[in-house]
Amino acid sequence: MSKPLPFIEIDHVDQVFDLGGGDRYIALKNIHLNIEEGEFISLVGHSGCGKSTLLNIIAGFQRATSGGVVMAGRQVTEPGPDRMVVFQNYSLLPWKTVYQNVALAVEAVLTDLSRAQRRERVEQAIQQVHLGSARDKYPAQLSGGMKQRVAIARALAIQPQVLLLDEPFGALDALTRGSLQDELMQVCQATGTTCIMVTHDVDEALLLSDRVVLLTNGPEAHIGQILKIPFARPRNRHDVLNHPGYYGLRNEMISFLNQQKRRPAAVVSAATTSTRGVLTLGFIPLMDCAPLVVAKELGFFAKYGLEAVTLHREESWQDLAAGVVNGRLDGAHMLAAMPLAITLGLNGQPSQPLMTSLVLSRNGNAITFSRHLWEQGVRTAEDLRAYLRRTGNRLRFGIVHPASMHNLLLRYWLAAAGIDPDQDVELLVIPPPQMVYHLRMGHISGFCVGQPWNSHAVREGIGVVVATDLDIWPGHPEKVLGVRQDWVQAHPHEHLALVKALIEACEYCDTIKHRPEIAQLLCQPAYVGCMPEDAHSGFVSPLDWGDGIAAAFEPRFHQFYVDRSPCPGRVEGLWIMTQLARWQLTPFPQNWLEIVEQVRRVDLFGAAARELKVVDNEPDRRPFALFDGVVFDPDHPLAYIEAAAIRRALDIQTIVPEAGASSPVTV
Amino acid sequence: MTSSSLRVSRRQRWFKHVQRLPVFRKVLLGSLGVVCFLALWQLICMVGLLKLPTPLKVIADTWELIIDPFYTGSGNDVGLGWQILSSLRRVAIGFSLAAIAGVGLGMLIGASRVLYDAVDPILQVLRPVPPLAWLPISLAAMRDNEPAAIFVIFITAIWPIIINTIVGVQQIPKDYKNVARVLRLSRKDYFLNILVPATVPYVFTGLRIGIGLSWLAIVAAEMLIGGVGIGFFIWDAWNSSLVSEIIVAVIYVGIVGLVLDRSVAFAGRLLSHGDEAHS
Repeated sequence: MSKPLPFIEIDHVDQVFDLGGGDRYIALKNIHLNIEEGEFISLVGHSGCGKSTLLNIIAGFQRATSGGVVMAGRQVTEPGPDRMVVFQNYSLLPWKTVYQNVALAVEAVLTDLSRAQRRERVEQAIQQVHLGSARDKYPAQLSGGMKQRVAIARALAIQPQVLLLDEPFGALDALTRGSLQDELMQVCQATGTTCIMVTHDVDEALLLSDRVVLLTNGPEAHIGQILKIPFARPRNRHDVLNHPGYYGLRNEMISFLNQQKRRPAAVVSAATTSTRGVLTLGFIPLMDCAPLVVAKELGFFAKYGLEAVTLHREESWQDLAAGVVNGRLDGAHMLAAMPLAITLGLNGQPSQPLMTSLVLSRNGNAITFSRHLWEQGVRTAEDLRAYLRRTGNRLRFGIVHPASMHNLLLRYWLAAAGIDPDQDVELLVIPPPQMVYHLRMGHISGFCVGQPWNSHAVREGIGVVVATDLDIWPGHPEKVLGVRQDWVQAHPHEHLALVKALIEACEYCDTIKHRPEIAQLLCQPAYVGCMPEDAHSGFVSPLDWGDGIAAAFEPRFHQFYVDRSPCPGRVEGLWIMTQLARWQLTPFPQNWLEIVEQVRRVDLFGAAARELKVVDNEPDRRPFALFDGVVFDPDHPLAYIEAAAIRRALDIQTIVPEAGASSPVTV
Repeated sequence: MTSSSLRVSRRQRWFKHVQRLPVFRKVLLGSLGVVCFLALWQLICMVGLLKLPTPLKVIADTWELIIDPFYTGSGNDVGLGWQILSSLRRVAIGFSLAAIAGVGLGMLIGASRVLYDAVDPILQVLRPVPPLAWLPISLAAMRDNEPAAIFVIFITAIWPIIINTIVGVQQIPKDYKNVARVLRLSRKDYFLNILVPATVPYVFTGLRIGIGLSWLAIVAAEMLIGGVGIGFFIWDAWNSSLVSEIIVAVIYVGIVGLVLDRSVAFAGRLLSHGDEAHS
């Protein structure tokens, strides 16, 4: 069974304004929202963020540049009385009385009613907003509040399916506004009309809405967060204000709006392509450094004006991270969690603002146990828990870096089976190429690492793969292009060229027929320097788990391009932050939206993607779950951390990374 | 001592009170202005700066004309009232035709961007043509004095009416159009409920300019065409060196022009509710 269609679907709406001279202003980017019948939705954001534009698109006054609005299964192409608008400036006809203004709408729309019925509707609507005494007055004789009452009466009289309100009470004094809000609430509750209201009044949104949609500041305004307002209906102002959740929600909205004020300006302007193109990029010998190697060896860097890119093989992830932070490297093939962790201040270190505009690869990791452990029947996390209980041993496992997905996924996998990754086992940081050595020496009983090092252990007969990331979180971000925020500000064109070249390289890597050639490149000593059979396992041919069972080839085990793989989505960034905080690797930022916007630059990815004419939208912002089915809701990250049975103490801080600043600001 | 100072202050208060009355301001000060003007005129002519009859002499010379406006003689020899009425008849016909055609065309052109762009150059060139420049064309086209005079009125009055109507239609606030769009008003409903009422103030601005120009044009046209009419009356008087009659006729022309202008403005206020601020 497919899910029932939403009543209104705002389907990936972009609004782009042509400024002339080839310049474009992207006002709205990738707005996706489903609205149920009878819901009251508020759109909240700073002035100029595009709230009213969005409302106009829903009303049909304006067409979205791409995407669109579907209501009750039909696309919105023009305005209509089923989506009646209450305008901010009332828009009453001054030559008509209150009665005539309402009657004009009723006569035009409710044509199947008799004359008497229509008259009754008009009178009823006027009574509903308590304007009986002003029935025969002209708008010029009415106060602002009364005019807006007429506008509401006119809208309600034609019984629209949706009521669109554009800052309806913005121009009114506080007392009038309050009483009109109460009236609107009562009328909407009585009629069950679906409402979409644009406002910047936080309390108004809380009082009236079922959901508050918070929009980020433009350019490229998008949905930053959606708050569900849990107050029971029918509501009244007094109960809402005294609800224990009221001030928490209010603070969340205010905090969101304050973060938006600090949003960095977009750096890249299109047009020019002048790049100096002398860059040094760091990498770690792993199969997933393929896009860098391909971009260099097959000339994608050169194609985009980056004539002299040096790939520098790093000894360890620590060295690589230090190289980017201190400027030795311009950028690097980086662990997906690294830019966030280093920006937040990993393990109490000072915050260093890094960012990424591109995910280089997804998946490509496995958890390998020593053959010794495997032969004792320890083949799953549950087996491991039982083994640990039985023997009382505190086994050691290898990870590559604290801010690696290997660490986060291994911890998640262990914790889901009831194993505390800090107390029941010990996790050691070991550079990937040394993993097999330490396993052979018996220093560790297993590891979580990227390819080809799992296959290496399998080939040597000392390890058996027990899980791949397809079993834990298929499609998780694995490596990103990590750069300093101030480097991008100083080198916007190089950065754009780099992202474009690497997007093309990613596409090349995901074409399976290219894989043998790429594997051959990677086997060179300057890159991964591994045996060809290790490189092939899982990359070209099925992954050999070492358990004697023939596996099928999984093309997604190394994912570079398909399914919008290169987009550095914000939701997955937020998940990473919850896990960094869960294990106390970094504090959890109070201003998580701001951090994720600064570090995972969907806008810069989009700018590059648009120049390449490929899809620039990030995947939909929606809850998801890993293998254990626990749902991560991007609107409630703290609840997700707090619901985890095994976790460390939660440290929440406001973190304001500024380019060049070296200490985190703690509140 | 005490009583006289009291009387003074009371008189001052009375004066201040009267000063604040609108009637005082309008009528009394207005009359004062007229009296001063006449006195100045009298003075200038008595001194001999201008070779014109003094106001007193004008009245003395033309007393018969003034007291009997509807005198009927033979041919052109009729009272000033008849002369004026005859001019007004021509204006009424020409202006009415101009109003009907101008408002209709203006609404059509204002509603269509394409039509507007096509017609705008023609409007811009023809608009500044002085009324009298039309007269020869008009005579050539009509071959008769009477229709030619009416055509001059028509062609003079129509431009401001068309142009203001166009602007009115184009300036209909977006809010009202949005209301019409969201209610999906039919063409007829849109025309009657929004387009016409929203453009009324602009149309009447055009009509007011149009009637003023018509009255300007008729006097000049009649001077050239002849027959009964206030324009030819003035020209005839000049040929007979009856300067006093010219002066009286000019005053009549002025008063009638004022009345025409105010009547159109009044009609406009009546039709657009008078109190509406179209903001």
